[in-house]
Amino acid sequence: MKIVVTIKLVPNPNAEKRIDPQTKRLVRTGVETVLNPYDEYALEAALQLKERAGGDTTVTIFSMVPDSLKEGLRRALAMGADDAVVLSDEALEGSDVSATAFAMAAALRTLTFDLLVVGGLTDDSSTGAVPGALAEHLGLPCITNARKVDIKGDGIEVERETDSGYQTVHGPLPALLTTALTFGEPRYASLKGIMGAKKKSIASISLQDLALDRPVGASGSKTELRSFAPPPVRGKGQVVEANDGLSGAQAIFDFLASKRLV
Amino acid sequence: MKDVIVYAEHRRGETRKVTFELASEAGKIAAALGGKAHAVVLGPGSAQLAEQLKNYPLDTIFLNEDADIEAFLLDPIVDYLEAAARIAGPSLVLIPNTLSGRDVAGRLMVRLDAGMVADVVEVKPDLGAVVCVSPKLGGALITQCALRTADYGVVTVRPNAFAVQTAGAGVHVEQLAKPASRSYPAAIDRDVEEGAGELALEEAPVVVAGGRGLGGPEPFETLLKPLARALGGAVGASRAAADAGWVPYNLQIGQTGKTVTPTLYIAVGISGAIQHKVGMRASGTIVAINKDAASPIGEFSDLLVVGDAFRIVPELTKLIETAKGNLS
Repeated sequence: MKIVVTIKLVPNPNAEKRIDPQTKRLVRTGVETVLNPYDEYALEAALQLKERAGGDTTVTIFSMVPDSLKEGLRRALAMGADDAVVLSDEALEGSDVSATAFAMAAALRTLTFDLLVVGGLTDDSSTGAVPGALAEHLGLPCITNARKVDIKGDGIEVERETDSGYQTVHGPLPALLTTALTFGEPRYASLKGIMGAKKKSIASISLQDLALDRPVGASGSKTELRSFAPPPVRGKGQVVEANDGLSGAQAIFDFLASKRLV
Repeated sequence: MKDVIVYAEHRRGETRKVTFELASEAGKIAAALGGKAHAVVLGPGSAQLAEQLKNYPLDTIFLNEDADIEAFLLDPIVDYLEAAARIAGPSLVLIPNTLSGRDVAGRLMVRLDAGMVADVVEVKPDLGAVVCVSPKLGGALITQCALRTADYGVVTVRPNAFAVQTAGAGVHVEQLAKPASRSYPAAIDRDVEEGAGELALEEAPVVVAGGRGLGGPEPFETLLKPLARALGGAVGASRAAADAGWVPYNLQIGQTGKTVTPTLYIAVGISGAIQHKVGMRASGTIVAINKDAASPIGEFSDLLVVGDAFRIVPELTKLIETAKGNLS
């Protein structure tokens, strides 16, 4: 079985982001690029499926990433993926979600796979729209938010989380799957994995290889970023020391009453 | 884009508040664009929901009680929404930014070749364009994005962003014909409800969240639940509490969890690391109870009470219940 996992590299979610007041751009210095956390869970799911299926099952990483950052994918290879394919092209810069999904789908069409595993969200742009959009472009069944997956012959059985519980769902392969965080904590790369990852292949695809029939990048986008700004400053508020339960409770109650919240 | 279409998400007629928020705002946006507002209600229980939606400023409610909506995963919903959008013509489709709303939105974007903006908190029609305000990078940036497509736009809207406002009369309910047969590949075999009847976290007007400082699962039941109930809110948690298995992951607020924007957020025993902050920083009023006066949550709380949550929370619950009793 061939599994492809999409991975995005994002600014470290645990770093405080700020806007440079002069340039009005995101300050990147000191903010490293990491694997999108949701995609780590997708990769973990793929690696678990590979271990269970055994045999000649392979896990390939696919990423749309600037050429200068693609080495960041070694971390995913160190976790246990077999190889990586990247779509890198300067002309992709500024692509919105519609253009991104279109370009990704075109590149994914050049790969063969039985299962495409995608993280449910990205930490930076958080549209959550890419998995569904890929499924539409590629004509794949789309099963989202999986917490348990069984491959049964040429089909797939999935337990998926909903807002109010869970569902069991089945469908044919090939399919697109997104994973819930309850699938299991992403594994750490072993030393052996880290050493081995250095030799694994990261192949590149450019837009020229794809012959797209619509423009991508900023000019091919259907949305236009007009402006961005930091959120309103949230200053430090009052601090009250409470020596006992009642005085603490009273302080909160009075505060809420002053704001007409109780 | 002239008309506005609301996807009225529900489960067997039980609606989410965000649906009414969208229905309230749709009329305003449509008026500014010079078009009409519609809602699409699908699956078993839709007639009941359509009845409720008649109280909102809509022109048409498209309805089909097709049982396939509950038998197959998402595909029929996307088909029906596409059909409604084709009937309405160039339009802006509003979808709740929920787990299943997001799944629908990405697919509809491709079907309609639409522009899309996600997690929108404000929609501003501006000289024929539609400008959407949405927080990005965990709320570190507030962006204004214009939809460039003349035909269709799809936006997912954050719950609690729009006020609910009933108005209007003369809503006309129209049967939406089942789209020509497509095959639905993903069949739902079982659909299990857990924790039914509890308020969805993203929609709650008040969230009482607990963290590592609570030390175990019991205080979520004995301390936070009664306070949340007294305030008409829901219980949430930090990642530390979810990772420790004290609460299910669907209560986790923050990066890799839920983003909430309640009117009031009470953080109990939560230190306020960036990974939690990104999920709640846009809340109206933030109150924190923490043992440590130096915990980072104090930096962005409107009120930090330094003290013992185990003593403060029950007293606070009593005060609120007493105040409510005096009013009724």
